[in-house]
Amino acid sequence: MKRLMVVDDESEICDFLKLFFEDRDFQVTTAFSGLKALEVLDQVKPHVVLLDIHMPGMDGLSALREIKKKLPDCKVIMVTALETRDKIEEAMRLGADNYITKPLSLEYLERDVREKVTLLAKSGKIMNETL
Amino acid sequence: MAFHIKKRKKFLRKALVASTLFALGFLALAVSNFLIQTFLPQASTNAPLLSVLLMALISISTVKPLDKLYAQIFDRYLFKKKSYAHILLMNLADELEVVLDLQELANMVVNTFGEVLQLKTVALLVRASDQEDMEVASAYGWHVSDYRRVRLSRSSPMMALVQASGTHVLVRNQVVQAFSWKEANQLVYDFDLMRASWVIPLFVKSGLSGLLVFSSHKSDRSFDETDFHFFREFGQRISKSIHNAVRVQQLKRLNSELQDSQSQMLQTTKLTAIEQLATGIAHEIHNPLTIISGKAQVLLLQRDKVPLDTRIEEVLKTIVKQTKRAADITRKLLMFSQSSGLSREPLVLSQIIEDTLALVSYQTSLDGIRIVKRLADDVPSFQGNVHELREVFLNLILNAVQALGTEGEIRITLQHVPQDKLIEVRVADTGKGIAPENLDKVFNPFFTTRHSALGLGLFVTKQIIHHYGGSIRAESQAGEGSLFIFRLPLAEIPQAVGSAVPETFSGLI
Repeated sequence: MKRLMVVDDESEICDFLKLFFEDRDFQVTTAFSGLKALEVLDQVKPHVVLLDIHMPGMDGLSALREIKKKLPDCKVIMVTALETRDKIEEAMRLGADNYITKPLSLEYLERDVREKVTLLAKSGKIMNETL
Repeated sequence: MAFHIKKRKKFLRKALVASTLFALGFLALAVSNFLIQTFLPQASTNAPLLSVLLMALISISTVKPLDKLYAQIFDRYLFKKKSYAHILLMNLADELEVVLDLQELANMVVNTFGEVLQLKTVALLVRASDQEDMEVASAYGWHVSDYRRVRLSRSSPMMALVQASGTHVLVRNQVVQAFSWKEANQLVYDFDLMRASWVIPLFVKSGLSGLLVFSSHKSDRSFDETDFHFFREFGQRISKSIHNAVRVQQLKRLNSELQDSQSQMLQTTKLTAIEQLATGIAHEIHNPLTIISGKAQVLLLQRDKVPLDTRIEEVLKTIVKQTKRAADITRKLLMFSQSSGLSREPLVLSQIIEDTLALVSYQTSLDGIRIVKRLADDVPSFQGNVHELREVFLNLILNAVQALGTEGEIRITLQHVPQDKLIEVRVADTGKGIAPENLDKVFNPFFTTRHSALGLGLFVTKQIIHHYGGSIRAESQAGEGSLFIFRLPLAEIPQAVGSAVPETFSGLI
């Protein structure tokens, strides 16, 4: 089972992404903040994280730093409402694997998430039986 | 009147000479009497004859020097010799006290001085603004392009000399010498041969405020003592006026610098305000748009499992498409507002016009405003900052949109004017136009005829255009719409190479 974590302070966004990816055989965990995501990170061990940049409390960039520290192999796709160059550049420097802007194109997002999972599988980071 | 004074002066002088001679004669008589009685008592019979002889001798030998001495005393202390020229120049000095514009004052000084004294060249040097160097404020008989290049640094030998001596200074080619007026007067006869200039230092309490420099007479006449006394007095009279005018000029310059930085600040704060607004709006709008669009997409992408009514499918597709459109608008607004410094790059102005029109196209199509573009394709790229140029076009186009209200036409023309090396842009609308009394006010900060507007758009526009060395003007016929024309220079005109500086000043540069 491919494990996906969605981190966004908008519960509605978490809801439809969960619905969409569960339909496509993903195991989806949602978190409403960076801190909540880090709390469950060790238990969930997601393959891919969709991480919103603008969140109250711990923002996406700080969360990204922590996630990459705890799970270096985990692929993180930043989700942002704005294409603010400096934020995106910083995210890339911190090791983000891609970014996508809101409103989301689900087709594109699905393709990107699957690509990341395939990359992990090829490099042997995911056991074949779990897929 | 003058004739009478002259006659009386002569009579007075003669009377003084006569009485001095009489006194001297009497003294000589007394002395000779005493001497004769003491040493030659036997020759007393010849005493009157001897005394008269002595008196006559003394009188003849002293009458000329005495007359000259009195004439000098009269001229220097009692009846100062005032020629018509000197009176004119002193009147000028009085007038100068109320002139505050340095350029006007300098022109008055050099022109009057040159004309009245029939000089070949005159120049007024003043301390250039914040630096310590002296610059030519105005010159007579000398070409502007030449004297603009003259600078006299504080460390130049001549300046040191002027500071130290405080007297007239004679500049001779590159060799600089200071002379007292008496010494200088000896040399004044071969002025032309020496290619020299006179320098009158203009002192105020705080130090040297300027220099009045001039060269020889047009005629053969040389200056005399009285002239040099007059120059000194004239210099003292005008130095304060010049000092004040320099101060006023400094104040003016500081004031304009202040205005510039103020407008620059207004511009940046305004941009930052738009940026903040755009960031906030984008964030607040994109999240709900994401939810609307996301949920519609979930349904659409499930249609192989859960079949959809074709009408519902159409509605869902429209929702996805329109949310994307809404997001694009906020994204463009954000792109517009993000100011990334003021770096310049080659810009294709027609592209910037198209981008700007895209931003207002929704508004214009809604209002039924037609947009007519005439963008020439031979326009070279313009070296500028993309955000500043966008701001210019956005302000002018929004201004036109607001002038039109609900219907009308906006005509945008972009063309290259190769002979003037510039790009010309015209933005015309068929709106209500600008009242003639407001035409020169539209570029003022906070000027607006709309209640909801800040009145900074055209002001900022003008600042940006001026920043690039361009110009903007508005034309309007009441009821027939308005036209904004702005011109941007394409490249800096290379500095013209000045012609030769008169030899006399070669030592000053």
